[in-house]
Amino acid sequence: MSRKRLNLHEILEVRHLTDSTFVIRFEKNGMDFKAGQHVCVGPPNGIHTREYSIYSAENDPFVEILVKEVQNGLVTPVLKGLKAGQNVVVEEPVGYFTLQEEKIKSKKFLFIATGTGISPFHSMTKSIPELDYKILHGVRTSQEGYERDEYKKDRYILCSSRDQSGDYTGRITNYLKEVMIDKDSEVYLCGNCNMIHDAYDILEEKGISNEQIHAEVYF
Amino acid sequence: MNLSDSERVASVLDAAGCTKVDNEEDANIIGILACSVRQKAIDKVYNKISKWNKWKNNKNLITFISGCILPADKEKFLKLFDIVFAMPELPQFPKMLGEYGVTNPLSLIAEPNNTIDEIQLFWNVKPKYDSNFEAFIPIQNGCNKFCTYCAVPYTRGREVSRPSQEILDEVRSLAEKGYKSITLLGQNVNSYGLDKKGDELTFPELLEKVGQIGEEVNKEFWVYFTSPHPRDMTDDIFHIIAKYDCLGKQIHFPIQSGDEKVLIKMNRNHSLEKYRKTMQSFRSILPQATVFTDIIVGFTDETEEQFENTRKAMEEFKYNMAYIAMYSPRPGAASYRWEDNIPLEEKKRRFAVLSDELQKHTYEYNKSLVGKTIKVLIREKDRKPGYLSGHTAGKIVIRLESDDLSLIGQIVELKVTGAARFSIEGELVEKTVNC
Repeated sequence: MSRKRLNLHEILEVRHLTDSTFVIRFEKNGMDFKAGQHVCVGPPNGIHTREYSIYSAENDPFVEILVKEVQNGLVTPVLKGLKAGQNVVVEEPVGYFTLQEEKIKSKKFLFIATGTGISPFHSMTKSIPELDYKILHGVRTSQEGYERDEYKKDRYILCSSRDQSGDYTGRITNYLKEVMIDKDSEVYLCGNCNMIHDAYDILEEKGISNEQIHAEVYF
Repeated sequence: MNLSDSERVASVLDAAGCTKVDNEEDANIIGILACSVRQKAIDKVYNKISKWNKWKNNKNLITFISGCILPADKEKFLKLFDIVFAMPELPQFPKMLGEYGVTNPLSLIAEPNNTIDEIQLFWNVKPKYDSNFEAFIPIQNGCNKFCTYCAVPYTRGREVSRPSQEILDEVRSLAEKGYKSITLLGQNVNSYGLDKKGDELTFPELLEKVGQIGEEVNKEFWVYFTSPHPRDMTDDIFHIIAKYDCLGKQIHFPIQSGDEKVLIKMNRNHSLEKYRKTMQSFRSILPQATVFTDIIVGFTDETEEQFENTRKAMEEFKYNMAYIAMYSPRPGAASYRWEDNIPLEEKKRRFAVLSDELQKHTYEYNKSLVGKTIKVLIREKDRKPGYLSGHTAGKIVIRLESDDLSLIGQIVELKVTGAARFSIEGELVEKTVNC
């Protein structure tokens, strides 16, 4: 098996954030991507891969993905067991869930995520520090506020539905209903499909046009 | 795409000294080019190989499979077929035949990692065209779109564009030989060149050069392309189609659903509004052109209201043809992990509703052609005895009463005398045009 054919990248670090969620950092190997794009990553045998939004910043000297283990899954339990020095198969980055260059300096951005759907927004905010953004992160318990200290406090709101240790207690969509949204904002939604559909309705009711709403479904 | 692939496989087998037989029972080498889009197609593969493996008790038979194959299916196929190869490995096929029965470890490697070198070698295989007047030219392979219902990104890998000079040479050569219908093929044909990041022509630029070939070659032919993705469709493509006679006045423009939320769930990467604006541009730039589409009904969680939005979209966009599919989960596609929760009976009902809707527009359009004289490519004998059939430059099926088989493969002028829901009927005005 040639290295070129399998696109093997050496793992530099595995950071376990919760019992089931972890960050894999691997060699960049010249990979060029735009924040918000995703890569297909899999164990080194190369049979199965899954899509993961890139978690790290565009200019970081490594690439990171945020992974949640799927019980009895074909890929994530294997990825979870990998260690630094081992390899992962990585395909080239693709995807259109990216920021439009011409809007980066002129627009406000509202990022709405559930769970590991925070990943592209982590990459965007780290890649473009001057971005005028706010993140709404919906989780079950505040333990899932992955590396939340990395965001500016006034720009990150953790909505936890099953405990009271977030910034807001309840579903992210309830929070969305209660707040004012700048009608000129560009809104990015990432996470489970039900949240995206509910948020979509709420945003429409609040006068946000379809063209301002961008969505990436996690599955 | 499979037809184009099969022409290249035929060419390789031909060069290896093999002769095509008409019946599978007579073959000593037999294979399948699989399609990953529908589970039914993969089910048929298992039925076929089961039958062929029984034949091996009584005759020498080598079996092979290629095409769109998921990595997981590939593992299973290696146990059932003698040879399993990815389409870019086609140039190595004769060598594999020589070693048949020996599992090729390369074939165990994940499919999406076809190297650019391999796909280049594949494109260099000269196809053995099945027809002497219609040809398909692959211009791009793979997909970056990751629609949730589709496994192609996992079976064919990322988008790779074929060098433009090769494509243009093939178009020119076919046109000069008298081919009348040429179709540029790709999973996302209008994403052509984007993978080369400025080092290759874009799709509009490629189309412009194809149009110029049409001006230079003193023969009439029509060039089509399929399938484009709405996300990468731009107005300049329509302007170029309008500018050159040889570019067929027809586009295949898949909508899949007319509901914003379903489009999100399908991960189509465009809104209905974007689609609508593109259609408006298309209609204003090419008012005489026809539009075909693809639609999936009964996708996971599709509500009655969401389906109704698709019906309304069909009413609004007035397609000339729609390939309507009842959703079925495809292993390997993301949506396979979701419950297929729309009952088959309901899918059938939605299919029928859209079919009725489609017929309203196709019939109206077809009736509008009655009395007009139009150019038609005669393609084959019709099922109805004493008739031939063909298609217009807009790919509307047309029949004419004639048993003159020499017309097959010719562009002729017909006067339209009648219209049905999915076809028209005409009579010959003059035999051939400028050939």
